[in-house]
Amino acid sequence: MSATLTLDALTKTFDGAAHPAVDAVSFTVAAGECLAILGPSGSGKSTVLRSIAGLDVPSSGRILVDGTEVAGLAPERRGMAMVFQRPLLFPHLSVLDNVAFAGTVAGQPRREARADAAQFLDLVQLGGFGSRAVTALSGGQEQRVALARALAARPRVLLLDEPFSALDPALRTDMHELLAQIRAQLNPTVVMVTHDRDEAAVVADTVALLTAGRLLQHDSVPRLYSRPASLAVSRLMGGRNEVEGTVSEGVHYSALGAIAAPEGEQWPDGVGVLVVRQEALRLGEPLPGEAGVRGVVAASALRGPRAHVVVDVNGAALECETAAISAPEVGTEVTVSIPLAGCAVLAA
Amino acid sequence: MAMMIPYGQRVTPDDRTTATRGLMRPRPSGRALRVTLAGLLAVWFALPLVPLLLWSVANRWSFPAVLPTEWGLDGLATALAQGGLPVFGRSFLLGLAVAAIATPLGALAARALTMGRVPAARLVSAILLAPLALPAFVAVMGLTIVLLRAQVPAPAAVLLLLVAAALPYTVYTMRVAYAAHDLAYEDEARTLGASPAHVLWRVHLPLVAPGLARAAFLAFLVGWSDYVVTVLVGGGTLVTLPLLVGSYAAGVGNDAVVAVLSLTAIVPPLLLLLALGRFGRRYPTARFAGPTASRSPKGSP
Repeated sequence: MSATLTLDALTKTFDGAAHPAVDAVSFTVAAGECLAILGPSGSGKSTVLRSIAGLDVPSSGRILVDGTEVAGLAPERRGMAMVFQRPLLFPHLSVLDNVAFAGTVAGQPRREARADAAQFLDLVQLGGFGSRAVTALSGGQEQRVALARALAARPRVLLLDEPFSALDPALRTDMHELLAQIRAQLNPTVVMVTHDRDEAAVVADTVALLTAGRLLQHDSVPRLYSRPASLAVSRLMGGRNEVEGTVSEGVHYSALGAIAAPEGEQWPDGVGVLVVRQEALRLGEPLPGEAGVRGVVAASALRGPRAHVVVDVNGAALECETAAISAPEVGTEVTVSIPLAGCAVLAA
Repeated sequence: MAMMIPYGQRVTPDDRTTATRGLMRPRPSGRALRVTLAGLLAVWFALPLVPLLLWSVANRWSFPAVLPTEWGLDGLATALAQGGLPVFGRSFLLGLAVAAIATPLGALAARALTMGRVPAARLVSAILLAPLALPAFVAVMGLTIVLLRAQVPAPAAVLLLLVAAALPYTVYTMRVAYAAHDLAYEDEARTLGASPAHVLWRVHLPLVAPGLARAAFLAFLVGWSDYVVTVLVGGGTLVTLPLLVGSYAAGVGNDAVVAVLSLTAIVPPLLLLLALGRFGRRYPTARFAGPTASRSPKGSP
């Protein structure tokens, strides 16, 4: 069922547009892997997905499935089922016939296609809903049916275009769990487009970060957070701490003092910006593997159960996320512990 | 009218605001008015049918009498004797033929116009709607000569012109249908493995079917009820129901035949209209209304 998907310098320029919507994007998704294409609105992520599906024709570049080029293949011959943000259930068909759609158009006898569809309805925990009209479903149920319908098409690659972004947070969490179960059971290759960092982190094995049509970094989720390839990546991933300084013999010197590179890593000499996640910082005395710096709390903002505390360290601002209940008051002198393994130095 | 409320001041509903809530409910007097109006409208529509119904079963109905003076089926007998059945069939076929040609043509034009694939779209839609603005007489007089010189057989010429006359209705109806049509359904079907032919038969046509039915109904009416084109272009070779009604209505003492023929002319459109109301719905309604059947309107196209 699953296949390896490779994009090679995929470029798409829409008619009359000055800049390409997708600019030389390359990545590989291994069979059974889940890739999230993450990016802000208008970054070209949906265009990448539509190109893979064959709904948009790329201007240049190659799309390979198991090493075979699919350019020139009509969407229905690519073996890629897509789930959109809207469920798009065919209103003239029952729930069961929606799921049986792929089997029916593939020439399967109706009885067989329906029996097959019933299994997939069970898989998305909607067994017994088959005879309903699609108008009798809730939003979450509709998206489950859409997922079942796509899976019943036995796609070589399952394409998800922001499929859960219209659902409320609780339903979205349910759908993430469902997707994890489906991946464990059927092991499909999945490419999912999302603008939600947390969703990408929960669902995907690797994330391709896209902005203005360019692929900034394709990496595992932890590395995307702790080892961003550029300041742009760090900012898009929500990183708040950037401290300018210079690197000399693998040590970064700045208002924070000397911060050594993590073991086994090299920082190039010269001017560099130290980035470290606000979630990685801790208020309190340093433990082994951490560097402690003294500063004064300059601001504190509550974010529900969490608090964003900004600490002024010799003129450099460090933002630190902590539990709201233990957030220090403005003006308090505190020690910030910086885990060395969480630090990266990037070109300014 | 000073309606300004200073910032920071609380706005509490008082008697004045709560009293106006009564407007949200239909007042008894308003309801009576609506019922009366609806009743008057119904009478206005139905009243002309009463003398028709009476005349169709009257052999004689002299002026001062309130009801027919002699009951009978002479009208029906005359209508049948004068070839009423073949004429009825010919009209029905003409209506069907106009619908069968004008509906797909209108749908194709409407889809192309709605998708923005047509250069000078405004001009094209103006031309398509032009037959509505142009008096049929003017267009027909000129075209008759052209079609006669081109040696087009009269029935084919009538059909051709009626299709042109029906196109504005089918194009307009289908533009409304396609404006509400979501192409994403077709994209979705393609990714699920449906070929263009499958998309057309299993997704596209079912989704626009109610629009197609409405368009076909209007096109049928154009063919079914036409008089001017059939008379002028057909030149009497193609006798349809309106022509038969016309010729009897022009004479004196044929009221019973005219009544029978007119009533016959109402039946097919009425039946089609009822069928349209029954089957022309956009979506099947929910068959199972359970506790999980609630559905927010968001996302529904």
